Amino acid sequence: MIHHSTAPSFEFNDIGLADDQYAVRIRNLSHHFGTGDLKTQVLYDINLDLKRGQIVILTGPSGSGKTTLISLIGALRSAQSGSLKVLGKELVGLNKAQLVEVRRNIGFIFQAHNLFDSLTASQNVEMAVELLEDWGEKRAKAAEILAKVGLASRVHYKPKALSGGQKQRVAIARALVNEPALILADEPTAALDKKSGREVVTLMQKLAKEQGRTILIVTHDNSILDVADRIINLVDGRLESDQSLETFVNTHDPKSLDRRMFIM
Amino acid sequence: MKRRTPLAWSNLTYERRKLVTAIAGVAFAVLLMFMFRGFENALYDSQIQLLTRLNGDIVMVNRIKYTMFVPEQFARRRLYQAQAFDGVDAAYALYIRDGAAWKNPQTKKVRALRVLAFNPSEPVLPLPGILANREKLTMPWTALMDEKARTEVGQVAAGTVSELGERQIEIVGTFSLGTDFASINGNLVMSDQNFIRYFGQVGPDEQSRSLGTVDIGLLKLAPGANAEELVQVLSDRLPKDVSVYTKEDFVKKELDYWRNNTSIGFVFSLLTTMSFIVGIILVYQILYTDVSDHWAEYATLKAIGYNNVYLLTIVLQQALILAVLGFIPGYLIALVLYDLTTNATGLLMQMTLWRGVNLLIATFMMCLISGLIAVRKVQATDPAEVFS
Repeated sequence: MIHHSTAPSFEFNDIGLADDQYAVRIRNLSHHFGTGDLKTQVLYDINLDLKRGQIVILTGPSGSGKTTLISLIGALRSAQSGSLKVLGKELVGLNKAQLVEVRRNIGFIFQAHNLFDSLTASQNVEMAVELLEDWGEKRAKAAEILAKVGLASRVHYKPKALSGGQKQRVAIARALVNEPALILADEPTAALDKKSGREVVTLMQKLAKEQGRTILIVTHDNSILDVADRIINLVDGRLESDQSLETFVNTHDPKSLDRRMFIM
Repeated sequence: MKRRTPLAWSNLTYERRKLVTAIAGVAFAVLLMFMFRGFENALYDSQIQLLTRLNGDIVMVNRIKYTMFVPEQFARRRLYQAQAFDGVDAAYALYIRDGAAWKNPQTKKVRALRVLAFNPSEPVLPLPGILANREKLTMPWTALMDEKARTEVGQVAAGTVSELGERQIEIVGTFSLGTDFASINGNLVMSDQNFIRYFGQVGPDEQSRSLGTVDIGLLKLAPGANAEELVQVLSDRLPKDVSVYTKEDFVKKELDYWRNNTSIGFVFSLLTTMSFIVGIILVYQILYTDVSDHWAEYATLKAIGYNNVYLLTIVLQQALILAVLGFIPGYLIALVLYDLTTNATGLLMQMTLWRGVNLLIATFMMCLISGLIAVRKVQATDPAEVFS
């Protein structure tokens, strides 16, 4: 496939939609690493809108810039040029302290669960609630969200006593407990077996639909593509395609799909 | 109710074995500091324990006697002259003989003792054992033995008969004082009359003593008299062959001598500093390991919106918890070792509240410094790196 000489822009037809109907609006976003001779561009002129309530899967080969893109959207890196609006807030030009503030409104789910072994499931989730200074209800909130992810009977278990899937569900509970409008998940199923991975993704889908959350999932795992409303393919730092699930499956024959998506 | 999840405490206590090792490390550093400080203080305290117990407000010594070690006397008439001044109530003479040859009654080996002599009817050294035996001291060829003398002196109790300066001596009682550098093995207290019996006529190599020369003169103030003014007056009016000090100044002068003119202070300060640094390194290792082990978790906290200040407080909390948990056993073991050292050497190993608080603060400092070094690792953590 030939790269577009000018970057494609998607969903620009929705001009009538106001800003607050998008969780993420990206215009002409480019990103470089390094300086001087070592300067390399990893993202080229990205234009992308994520509507609220959508579940979007971001795929692409290793080194395509997926991780960079998701860390920019997650306010984990400073955006350099172009425009990047997350939940209505422009991230280009923000300092570190301001980025920390933005991050508090985003739910993060990582490949590893990253739970503190020394804390119970409830305490791990409460750590997120404490960011909102919500001291009185933190325990109740944690218990409620843990019940939603099916861990009502494991609230006071420490991670060592939980299975891999259960730990990832605690991590999801931690990401969801503050009811963020945007959830970013980086390979959430990579550390799980197929069945647990499936359960975790279905759970994310269910909670997102119930509560109208926007979810952006970076994944190599084609067994979970069916939860997505949209599938975006990133190659060499450029948006290559942006399709609904049906068109994605139809236009990617399994062999090319495999080749493109499973180069680690 | 504002109750944060006790992350610092949980991480520190989660693995019991690690915790015990960490506490043992801190406790050891604390113990080392206590011991070195203890030895240093013991040497100072021992040096001044006789001076502080002498009964006088003003001390008079020979002008060139800048420390207790210098065996110089002054004429007793200076004491009488001083007694004539307004504000002086009484003047006492203390005679000292360093290195008197005492024969151990059991082993018959000769050991050096310091002899302190004064008129038993005067309260020169009002220790309980001495006050109780004043009558017995008036008998010729008698003395009182220091209970805290080193074991080389032998088993001595009231009634023990041995030799001092190759003459017979009867120990008629005991008192409790303790050893120092000058007294070497211990102290013997006798009357001034017995002092000249033993040291009035000695061989040609030694100095024969009379009651005409005094080692330390003690002046008691009349009620309402000001010690410092009187010292000034006496210094101006008395001949310049004596120096006059308030007792506090004299004690301080003795301490200053040991602090500044000997290597004791330097050696022990160096040792204490070294144990302090060892403590910093130990605690740093513990905290750094914790941070490294939980790198991904801390990075996640940063990703979800915790700032560096919060992570700093976590590491510093751990540092302070370690300080407290390590200080307690370190302190208790130090108390036991102080006791053992005192019993074994006769050195005065004293734990005072101030010294304990001092080292508690030092322990906090030690842990805080380690924490501040270790926390740089957390602050350098880039939350973006949590994304694979």
